[in-house]
Amino acid sequence: MNSGVRVAGQINYSKFSVLVADDFSSFRNTVNGMLGNLGVNQVQMACSAQEAINTCKNHTFDIILCDYNLGSGRTGQHVLEELRHKRLISRHTLFIIVSAESSRNIVMCSYDCEPDDYLMKPITGKMLQQRIDRLLIQRAVLTKAYRALDKHDYSTAMDVLVDLSLADDRYSSMAQKLLGTVFLQQKELDKAERLYTKALEVRQLDWARLGLAKVKQLRGELDVAGEWLETIVADNPLFLPAYDVLADNWDKKGEKFNVQYTVQRAVDISPMSILRQKHLANVATNNNDLITAIDAQRRSVKLGEFSCHGIAEDHFTFARISSLALEREMEVDPKIGNEALAILDAAKEQYQLTDVQHAQCDLLASRIHSLENRHDLAAELLRAAESVLEADDSGIETQLDRVLALQSANEDEKAEKLLFQLQEKYGHDQAALEKLDAFLNEPASDSNREFVAAINHEGINLYNEGKFDEALECFEKARKLFPKHVGIQLNIVQALIGKLKIGSAEKAEADACYSSLELVSSLVDEQHPQYERYKRLRAMASAF
Amino acid sequence: MSKKIENTIDFSMILASSVHDMKNSVGMLLASLEGLMDEMPPVNAAQNKRFSTLHYEASRMNGELIQLLSLYRMQNNLLPVHIDEHYLIDILDDQVARNHMLAETKGVEMNIQCDPDLHWYFDHDLIGSVVHNILVNCVRYTQSKIEISAKIEDEILCVSIADNGPGYPPEMLQRPTGKVEDAEISKGATHLGLYFAQKIAECHKQQEKRGYIELTNGACLGGGVFKLYLP
Repeated sequence: MNSGVRVAGQINYSKFSVLVADDFSSFRNTVNGMLGNLGVNQVQMACSAQEAINTCKNHTFDIILCDYNLGSGRTGQHVLEELRHKRLISRHTLFIIVSAESSRNIVMCSYDCEPDDYLMKPITGKMLQQRIDRLLIQRAVLTKAYRALDKHDYSTAMDVLVDLSLADDRYSSMAQKLLGTVFLQQKELDKAERLYTKALEVRQLDWARLGLAKVKQLRGELDVAGEWLETIVADNPLFLPAYDVLADNWDKKGEKFNVQYTVQRAVDISPMSILRQKHLANVATNNNDLITAIDAQRRSVKLGEFSCHGIAEDHFTFARISSLALEREMEVDPKIGNEALAILDAAKEQYQLTDVQHAQCDLLASRIHSLENRHDLAAELLRAAESVLEADDSGIETQLDRVLALQSANEDEKAEKLLFQLQEKYGHDQAALEKLDAFLNEPASDSNREFVAAINHEGINLYNEGKFDEALECFEKARKLFPKHVGIQLNIVQALIGKLKIGSAEKAEADACYSSLELVSSLVDEQHPQYERYKRLRAMASAF
Repeated sequence: MSKKIENTIDFSMILASSVHDMKNSVGMLLASLEGLMDEMPPVNAAQNKRFSTLHYEASRMNGELIQLLSLYRMQNNLLPVHIDEHYLIDILDDQVARNHMLAETKGVEMNIQCDPDLHWYFDHDLIGSVVHNILVNCVRYTQSKIEISAKIEDEILCVSIADNGPGYPPEMLQRPTGKVEDAEISKGATHLGLYFAQKIAECHKQQEKRGYIELTNGACLGGGVFKLYLP
């Protein structure tokens, strides 16, 4: 088996079917000629990304040779992602990207979707044959394992892969890598740890270091995993998979700012990954860093034009973040409103939207018009959307867009009424209630109610110990989720008063205390159970 | 601050992006040329020579542009170095196949001496392009033969490329470990290929050891010998 390549030439090419995709006919013809010389009878051609994808819908190929640059903005990487995403090809099809680039650089944008090989142009017949021979033998060696994995028969897959990885030949390292991922997936952490540790005894290779860090992460040893991951990216700052695991690690630790920072680093290295850009926009929005969020979401929309991961929702998200920035009067491009409207229009052109999605577009546009004082237009769009939504059961997301559009249009009563209706309608849907919570004074979902209770409890304990800063940190976390929660606001006021009393509060904190009280005053009336407490704290604060 | 950045044009970035463009053009040129040679094989020696000159110069340009781009990326910490286990025979076979047509038109015979089970740890794209550049250079200077070999000596991989040409000129041999000075590159008369090879070798580290290159003359074929050492 060792000298597999050496026995090449014995491979019978006549039964293979091959797809060649390139926007230049000369390349297609050259490669076709080369394949003909190898004895391949069935060669199909595609001159664009779309044609390549369509061809795969009706035909299963053994080998796909796909040029990287396919014209009109689409690449071989897009084709591969879409084929795998839509399950139009399996592991049994060899996908080879052909490019004029010298190295793997070009595909740094790939998320976790790697082709089987890269071929550098100009390619020669001999080179093509050697590579294909090698890959075919490799595939043959792994076929049993792949078949088992396809059938979700993991124990057979593991048995096969264990044998292959112990063989100590040119396929053992490949088998080890695959086996490691199967172990991790099957939560066989001890086995995974042994495998990676053994590999690392020979050489400190990135894949094994990353694997071991994942083991630690899955065991819940987040600090150790984090430390290792930081070392991996420090040693090899361009090793993108490590950033993904590291971001995940920070997320598990609940440190959202570090998640953002980590995803940002990966995006800086490889701005072409739409999934990372979306992730960045999402974490940045949650962190209230709208400038970053807008930038990342804008790129996501742009990248979505060519990617199977582009969806209409990306356009909607851009409009939502833009509205938020307008509402908060942030220092963003003054044309952001127009840009968002144009991006909403683009969604209508690019995607086949349902009636509800069209209505959603109108709601989002209405909100922007409201925020930019085009009230008539805003009202018109809002009414149009509502007429569709009355008739249609549209789901919580769209209804929340409706709440926001109503609020921006200063139709507060209608917004409140809708929120009330939604609480009733989704009374048994915890996931929907969690989304509603952001609009409510008190959480409606069980999970958030528990979360607030727990974090409040922790904060109060810290407060009782005189640890005001730590207590404030706790309450701030809760406030981020429920900005209108009276109890949390008052806890913050109380902790700040504690700091004022011992004279360790800064001017900004005194201001924060005052603005929290102002907010509470708009939320409570004399009937509110927390009204007495509010009055007391207000009096105490005024003493400083 | 941002205004200042706008005003000072980053010339190396402009160069890099135009190099990228040029490289794509040369790639197309090479592909068409190979198509042409396929469809209309040379009928006499003069035509053969023309084809081979065209092909050689285009490949050389292609190789140099790729090296320039890689060096630019390396300087900006944007060159990914992905070290993994690879079989030497694969890389050497690839590069010989890639230069097969060039060698044939020049009447040069290329041989590989390598244990098919020999494997080591390196970035196979980067090392492949180093071997490619040296091969292209050897085809130019050799008389008729090139021998490529690989073996492991004292925990270090040594890839050696020898020819039966006139050998490397004395001033190139006198450098301690074939070290190309940065200053030499900036003086103009460059040995870009060697500089590139050295930089790529240095990207390969194992514990305290780093990769390096070495030039000698003589050895098995009597001409120049290029050696690449990777820890």
